[in-house]
Amino acid sequence: MNKNRIKIALTKGRVEKQVVPLLERAGINCDQIRQKKRRLIFDSVQPYEFILAKGPDVTTFLERGAADIGIVGSDILVEHHSTQYELLDLKTGQCQFVLASTKDFDPDEPKRKIIGTKYPNITKKYFDSLGQDVEIIKIEGSVELAPLTGLADAIVDITETGTTIKENNLKIYNYLDKVSTRLVVNRMSLKQHPEEIYSLVDKLEGAIKNENLSKEY
Amino acid sequence: MKNNLLPLGTRDEFGRRAVAKQKIISVIQRHLNQRGFSVISTPLLEKQEVFDQYQLGNYQMYRFLDSEGDTIVLRPDMTLPIARFLSSTNIPLPQKFFYVGDIFRISRRLSGSYNQLTQAGIELIGYDSMKAELECLTIISQLSQELLKKSIEIELGIADFAPTLLKFLTTDKRLQDQIAQALYDKNIPEYSKLIQQYSDLPQYQLLKKWPRLFGDPTTVFAELNKFDLSFELESKIADLKKIITWIKKIMPEQNVSVDLSSRAPQSYYTGLTFRGFYQDGNDYLFSGGRYDKLLANFQDQTEPAVGMGIDVDMIADLIVPVDKSKKVMIYFDKDQWQEAEAKLKELPDGMLSLSETKADAQIEAKNSNATLLDLTGDDKLE
Repeated sequence: MNKNRIKIALTKGRVEKQVVPLLERAGINCDQIRQKKRRLIFDSVQPYEFILAKGPDVTTFLERGAADIGIVGSDILVEHHSTQYELLDLKTGQCQFVLASTKDFDPDEPKRKIIGTKYPNITKKYFDSLGQDVEIIKIEGSVELAPLTGLADAIVDITETGTTIKENNLKIYNYLDKVSTRLVVNRMSLKQHPEEIYSLVDKLEGAIKNENLSKEY
Repeated sequence: MKNNLLPLGTRDEFGRRAVAKQKIISVIQRHLNQRGFSVISTPLLEKQEVFDQYQLGNYQMYRFLDSEGDTIVLRPDMTLPIARFLSSTNIPLPQKFFYVGDIFRISRRLSGSYNQLTQAGIELIGYDSMKAELECLTIISQLSQELLKKSIEIELGIADFAPTLLKFLTTDKRLQDQIAQALYDKNIPEYSKLIQQYSDLPQYQLLKKWPRLFGDPTTVFAELNKFDLSFELESKIADLKKIITWIKKIMPEQNVSVDLSSRAPQSYYTGLTFRGFYQDGNDYLFSGGRYDKLLANFQDQTEPAVGMGIDVDMIADLIVPVDKSKKVMIYFDKDQWQEAEAKLKELPDGMLSLSETKADAQIEAKNSNATLLDLTGDDKLE
């Protein structure tokens, strides 16, 4: 492994699909990633080395210094208490945390609510800010099922358009933090390779601005 | 449940790593003894209140209740116990101390981090002269040369640079803290939002550049020169420049950089901060600075102090210990003990074989990758 190459951990799946075009607009050749098949490491994306990982693992790679840069959703950064540098909002993967439940749910009902979520820390932070103590049930997927089956009183989940929530006959009761994909840098790596890292950040920032301008015209 | 499993976040140290750590510790001890520092050792257990002002970040402390119901912790830091010690004794100051020991910090579960870390360090208590900072910098430079054989980069900062600059921007304490927090975390999306309200001020350009105000001193100071700073900030910068000039003169080979956008290692830091890192390391190897209010947690009277910690585990990760020459295992009869002892003294890499038979001794030597010296027959190496 070449220690001088900047290693970028990219969240695979939706983030990868949205970010690859942005990387290409910033002048980074991503052919290798586009034709990846089952590979997870791409070392000919000069001058970078890309790895594909799940979002929470991107934060672990970064915390341990096994990657210099991570590209990951802000939902995961907040949930996992990331302590690394968040240098850029890539303005993709934009969505929002919401509190949702069935139509008969009463947010002001005086009781200790049961909340289903994939994000227990964010949920706790939100209810703490309201001065409410709630019981949190960690759910790994299809969170909408929790209030429909009576497992929980309500859910805290992310939504892009609210369609899935509506289609499952749930209603949004409150909007919480906004979410988007971020570029995060390991603290030590920034000190060790400032030119290389800022050059990438500036190129990406330029590409994001150009896209926003072209949207306006 | 199995009875031979380690608690999460701990490890046994054996072989190359144990040898490397032992060597690092002995180099540090010899170096600081030569400089006339006094060794100090405080207990692993302390009352929780000792660490009231300690910022643990993402870590937690191991806590216990003692028989009185008081909360006892495994120390997460070595500096505050020394401050506690000084405030409760009448040790005349100034004094130079050094320590080596283990600290305990519970990191995120299953993250691959260890919770028991070996730290060495120095505390220069009662010195208000800049000479105290300079001795620390000299030690960093010399120790890193001796331990790593390569020069590390020393990064200098000013503990209260950000608060001092921000108090001229706004009197709103909460906003000052929010901006400082976003700056220190380099949370640029948040930081940019917070400074947007100052876009009409002449300082806005400085605010925009601030997160990147680190690196080569000449470049950073040239950038700062474009702006009018308060007298207070100018005088802090002047001190920083003095130190850099001194380093360039006394240690011309030493790489030095500045960082005016980072958080001080702990809230009790008051002046110059310094850290040392290596191009391949995952964290700082040395970290310290001036903390003149350190004793304020324990007593009314404050004392000027400068200190730093050395991450022994991190240095051990970077050092590849040289393969030592092959050991010689001495096989002998019980009545030849004196003869065997004499050989042991004579051979620098000798060790006694405690096997009963020669066949067992041969296996013992093989397992230790040693040569067998048989004193029971012919005195020659097999």
